[in-house]
Amino acid sequence: MALGDRVAFSRLYDATSAKLFGVCLRILNNRASAEDALQESFMKVWRNADRYRSNGMSPMTWLITIARNTAIDRLRRRRAAGSDDVIEHVADSAPTPEANAVARSEAERIVACLRELDDTRAAAVRGAYLEGLSYAELADKLSVPLNTVRTWLRRSLIALQACMQR
Amino acid sequence: MTESATPEEHDMQSAEYVLRLLEPSEEAAFEAALARDPVLRGRVLTWVQHFAQMNHEFPERAPRAAVKKALIARLFGEPAPRRPWWQALWLWQGVSLAALALAAFLGVQSLVGPDPGVGYVSHLAGEAGAPQILAVYEPSDGSLRLTRVEGAARPGRVLELWAIQGDQPPQSLGVLPESAQATIALPDHLRAPEGLTLAISDEPVGGSTSGAPTGDVLALGTAHAL
Repeated sequence: MALGDRVAFSRLYDATSAKLFGVCLRILNNRASAEDALQESFMKVWRNADRYRSNGMSPMTWLITIARNTAIDRLRRRRAAGSDDVIEHVADSAPTPEANAVARSEAERIVACLRELDDTRAAAVRGAYLEGLSYAELADKLSVPLNTVRTWLRRSLIALQACMQR
Repeated sequence: MTESATPEEHDMQSAEYVLRLLEPSEEAAFEAALARDPVLRGRVLTWVQHFAQMNHEFPERAPRAAVKKALIARLFGEPAPRRPWWQALWLWQGVSLAALALAAFLGVQSLVGPDPGVGYVSHLAGEAGAPQILAVYEPSDGSLRLTRVEGAARPGRVLELWAIQGDQPPQSLGVLPESAQATIALPDHLRAPEGLTLAISDEPVGGSTSGAPTGDVLALGTAHAL
């Protein structure tokens, strides 16, 4: 294996690992699991590097998508196994002050569009994207029946789509 | 997913797919549809980009250093094999992969500012045991980022970097520090350095005083656009 690859990999890792680890940690809430997911993500990234150009996403969006999906796959296996992985802290998905600041700029349109939704409905979208919560978990977290949360979420997505296109 | 579903239904399923709210069986059916429907792929991409605007809310947390070590061992094996000069072809294979990853890296950087222009990469190499240097031209500030990946200066000597443009005499870009990483500003007339030859020579401490390389040329490479 070429040394140039090691150097390139090392740079890519140094530039992106903190963000990708943050993604895995937010979704898995467990350091050891998040480290495994991070390793798996970088293996996928490195082996599919030739595909990133043709998929139309920015490199960072592509990397975060891979890390998020890898972490959610692990989360699903944990759910399926009823595993007793220790949940180290439960992140809530309230907007951070930083997110509020960004929302005031025109750039982060989805944040502005989420603000047009009812708080609980926005929390459902945020919980699904930022924490990888399933419909069942969202229903539990928001204390509403499963079918209700599905209906809410779909209506929220229609409203979001309309808002994003304005 | 049914073929008769409405566009709105496709759009909702695309969003649920991106959020990972579909059941595994629904997900598999959706992916099968995705493989044969470019319009559906477009919908998915649109939702990925919508939701990606929340990506700044994911925190940045440095993983333990052991994670990087473990990954490098898994991806590249330990230790790095040394190859003789006559197998130099691998360098070019290496650079093409390196270029790709660095393009991703530079692309990441370009998200935070105006488009800085084109990056260039050059792998400087010579005979077995000689220093090898990866040079990346960073268009946003006109600098060359140098990483020494192999070898070092001889005892009591230094490495000096030269730029050779066409049949012009070599121009010194400076003496490399002892550290493995260095950043050297490229003179204005050498920016956008497609085809520029970079060379490393062996020089006395302080560098060549004649304005031209005085010692052996240890490594050479040509810059190519990423």
